[in-house]
Amino acid sequence: MPQNADNVLDHFNLFRQPEYKEMFENKKKNFENPIADAELERVREWTKTEEYREKNFAREALTVNPAKACQPLGAVFAAVGFESTIPFVHGSQGCVAYYRSHFSRHFKEPTSCVSSSMTEDAAVFGGLNNMIDGLANTYNMYKPKMIAVSTTCMAEVIGDDLNAFIKTSKEKGSVPQEFDVPFAHTPAFVGSHITGYDNVMKGVIEHFWDGKAGTAPKLERVPNEKINFLGGFDGYTVGNLREVKRIFNSMGVEYTILGDNSDVWDTPTDGEFRMYDGGTTLEEAANAIHAKATISMQQYCTEKTLPVIAAHGQETVALNHPIGVKGTDEFLMAISRISGKPVSAELTKERGRLVDAMADSAAHIHGKKFAIYGDPDLCLGLTSFLLELGAEPTTILSTNGGKAWQEKTEKLLASSPFGKNCHVYAGKDLWHMRSLLFTDPVDFLIGNTYGKYLERDTGTPLIRIGFPIFDRHHYHRYPVWGYQGGMNVLVWILDKIFDEIDRNTNVVAKSDYSFDIIR
Amino acid sequence: MTSLANKIQDVFNEPGCDKNQGKSEKERKKGCTKQLAPGAAAGGCAFDGAKIALQPITDVAHLVHGPIACEGNSWDNRGAKSSSSRLYRTGFTTDMNENDVIFGGEKRLYKSIKEILDKYDPPAVFVYQTCVPAMTGDDIGAVCKAASAKFGKPIIPVISPGFVGPKNLGNKLAGEAILDHVIGTVEPQYTTPYDINIIGEYNLAGELWQVKPLLDELGIRILSCISGDAKYHEVASSHRAKAAMMVCSKAMINVARKMEERYGIPFFEGSFYGIGDMSDSLREIARLLIERGAPAELMERTEAVIAREEARAWARIAPFKERLTGKRVLLITGGVKSWSVVAALQEAGLEIAGTSVKKSTKEDKEKIKELMGQDAHMIDDMTPREMYKMLKEARADIMLSGGRSQFIALKAKMPWLDINQERHHAYAGYEGMVELVEEIDKALYNPVWAQVRLPAPWEETSWEERATKALEAEAAALVADPERAEEARRAKKVCSCHNVNVGAIEDALRADGLGSVEAIGGATHAGTGCGGCQGKIAEILDAMSSAGAIPASKAA
Repeated sequence: MPQNADNVLDHFNLFRQPEYKEMFENKKKNFENPIADAELERVREWTKTEEYREKNFAREALTVNPAKACQPLGAVFAAVGFESTIPFVHGSQGCVAYYRSHFSRHFKEPTSCVSSSMTEDAAVFGGLNNMIDGLANTYNMYKPKMIAVSTTCMAEVIGDDLNAFIKTSKEKGSVPQEFDVPFAHTPAFVGSHITGYDNVMKGVIEHFWDGKAGTAPKLERVPNEKINFLGGFDGYTVGNLREVKRIFNSMGVEYTILGDNSDVWDTPTDGEFRMYDGGTTLEEAANAIHAKATISMQQYCTEKTLPVIAAHGQETVALNHPIGVKGTDEFLMAISRISGKPVSAELTKERGRLVDAMADSAAHIHGKKFAIYGDPDLCLGLTSFLLELGAEPTTILSTNGGKAWQEKTEKLLASSPFGKNCHVYAGKDLWHMRSLLFTDPVDFLIGNTYGKYLERDTGTPLIRIGFPIFDRHHYHRYPVWGYQGGMNVLVWILDKIFDEIDRNTNVVAKSDYSFDIIR
Repeated sequence: MTSLANKIQDVFNEPGCDKNQGKSEKERKKGCTKQLAPGAAAGGCAFDGAKIALQPITDVAHLVHGPIACEGNSWDNRGAKSSSSRLYRTGFTTDMNENDVIFGGEKRLYKSIKEILDKYDPPAVFVYQTCVPAMTGDDIGAVCKAASAKFGKPIIPVISPGFVGPKNLGNKLAGEAILDHVIGTVEPQYTTPYDINIIGEYNLAGELWQVKPLLDELGIRILSCISGDAKYHEVASSHRAKAAMMVCSKAMINVARKMEERYGIPFFEGSFYGIGDMSDSLREIARLLIERGAPAELMERTEAVIAREEARAWARIAPFKERLTGKRVLLITGGVKSWSVVAALQEAGLEIAGTSVKKSTKEDKEKIKELMGQDAHMIDDMTPREMYKMLKEARADIMLSGGRSQFIALKAKMPWLDINQERHHAYAGYEGMVELVEEIDKALYNPVWAQVRLPAPWEETSWEERATKALEAEAAALVADPERAEEARRAKKVCSCHNVNVGAIEDALRADGLGSVEAIGGATHAGTGCGGCQGKIAEILDAMSSAGAIPASKAA
């Protein structure tokens, strides 16, 4: 056998050895009752047809390859953005391990998060004791300034009452009475990660603004000139929030980013382990009530949070993950209008640069067909940018998008002649997308890492924009917001287009007559 | 006189170039080395001209003898396509260093040639002279001769160091190099009555391949294309062609003419751009071949192909006509492309708002006039401000130009389409015309142009408005102040080469009563550089003499 102790082959090479190849072949032939290659090919081809697509879309119960994550993931995302805050997930431990690994695979950074480690007896008798012990241990072991409680399905199914449990825990001395323990119910069987973000953000705001669950007087709003900023669930949070800060500073506008997790997932290697690096202090979270207005970058991530803020007398502005010139214009105009301060000369210049870059390269993107999937706001932002570039979005799909999102996207598409042949699919999954890529072929697919299987199956080149991106590193450090962010997205799209041109022209002595150095 | 100086004189004597023939003996001696005004941002050099003319020969090694600057900046930077060898894309240079400058680079060159032959075994090596070895005195011709004798392979010296003149001269010097050392050195395996040469076609973006299938269908063989997608032995045996077509205006006219002189190969000047031009070229090829002995039925077959292809192209362009009719194009490019593209665009329903005549000869200008009528706005050296003005007055919807003007167009917020050498789309033949129209349609309707023309929403006045105000204020000031207006009129530059303005010419006319363009040139140097402004000088002369401003006794 090729595998021996002197030279152990890894998985890239081991099974390519002739002995293994032969063994697999025999195994298939003799023991696996294989179907004929022709039949296999027939079915494979059949899955590409309109007929199959019809059956695929008639699916009622099963979801195959969902393009969304669960509520508690979004809950953890929001919670870590606050100063010395540990997300405490009331429920089973395994779920929490998922959130932590999910984030580290995307951000290549650790994520601090604890669980109340509910087991079978807790499922039967309720998780109160887990909450009491869990809060006490967390408080004593990790010395946080705030514990943000969210839930997993397990706690939600049995109906644990977080408000009451936290009160009881405090009475039992788990944490001091005045210690901040905001909470949110975040069952995975409702909504998606964007809902979890919304619920935790709302929970934190209500906690600080509305008297800390009856343990303190409600805050009285004394309006000031500041603007609150909500990024929403965003895989590019590290780059984006830093860019947004630069934008605010450039315009001389005072601001509070609620849930600033930009440093959490970009800690330096300097010998110090930062368990917490959330950038929004608890004081800032409380004082955010006095702000003039709140801008949310993602409408569908803040559907519950914004009305709560508005109810306290602030103006709220909801955008849809603005990418590109028009989106960024709207964002900056909103800041300018609210603050009364002009858009800075620096930003005006950056705008001109982005327009210039788009004009330089638009010819390569013009008329190219795109399929997009992702979170609802991201889809809207990308679509708007593609339309600016003269690309033709053909398929837009969001597993966690709803009817309202679908209508909004269709309206956006109707605003441009380049959007007229596009279909929008709310609540569909990536297996639906697979059918669509066969029946309505496109030039490029934009989506997260999971799109690589679609790329393989359908041969549609994948441009990785979204969450999660597991198989490419460090994209989250680059902004996609602001004009500079638009520049990044433009470059990523162009890179893939040029890679494709190169790939199609680099067969030596067959097609490399077009393998040029200038594109 | 050195052999290079002789060669340059020879090129300037080119009888096929009417511009040169129109010059006086003395002017001609100075050559068409348009002395670039020091400090002006201007075009390429003779080395570059030679390199781009020959680099499309695909199976030879192109060795640049010079410091890294020359090959470093010219390596594989043109989209000339090859159907077989990739060797022309490999960057070979002697990469001269300080020691070579002090002690001479001949040995290094010789060794480089040997290494190329050892490792790549090309049918030939083209060695390019550059400024540094030309100044230090490396005798490239001798090295090539020695290497050729020693290794038994053609080693071709291309003597065109950058400082001798502009790109166009380099094109011609490259032509001389192949005339002297390549053409006629190999006999073709066989010949047919249908063998032609295509001269001055570089197969940029594969344009030759848009045309070749039609020639194939007619049974016409391209014995050699000089130099697009060419192989060494094809160029070497091109002297047995029956006829030739010269494609790129005057760049390689010396090759076409001397081949006619030496080998009796008649040539015509034609274009593959535009449906009408393409058809004319096919007809001309057939006509010349028949004259040289091909059966007369070739013309019938040619006409049949033309009829079929024209109909097909029209049918494919028709759907665009509706969208493009009335759209106005500003064409900023030189030479042959100006007039041949004008015809092509008109076929698609576009109107020409203006075209530059940079690099175009007088004949080119006449052709443009013929195609566009008397009111052709030919713009010599358009400034960004003028471009902007045309746009502002809605006189242009799109600009077609070379890569270098691209950025000016973009800053002027004008849609732009690349039609020069770095383009990626091929626009030749019937096929190319359809492609060009498609690309114009795309460029015109790309949403980015709407974006580009809009000011940032928070800007109270756009830069266009500010620019317009500045222009208006300037105009108003001139109206209010006739003295300044006169000053501005007189300050308008006529001769860019010698920096002579209207005022200086008028003064010279008045004072000395000069009666001819030549005399004005003698007194002011105006028109003695590239000669491009002689038309303007003649206009001034006409205007002045009809106004009676020139002392009558002296007027001619």
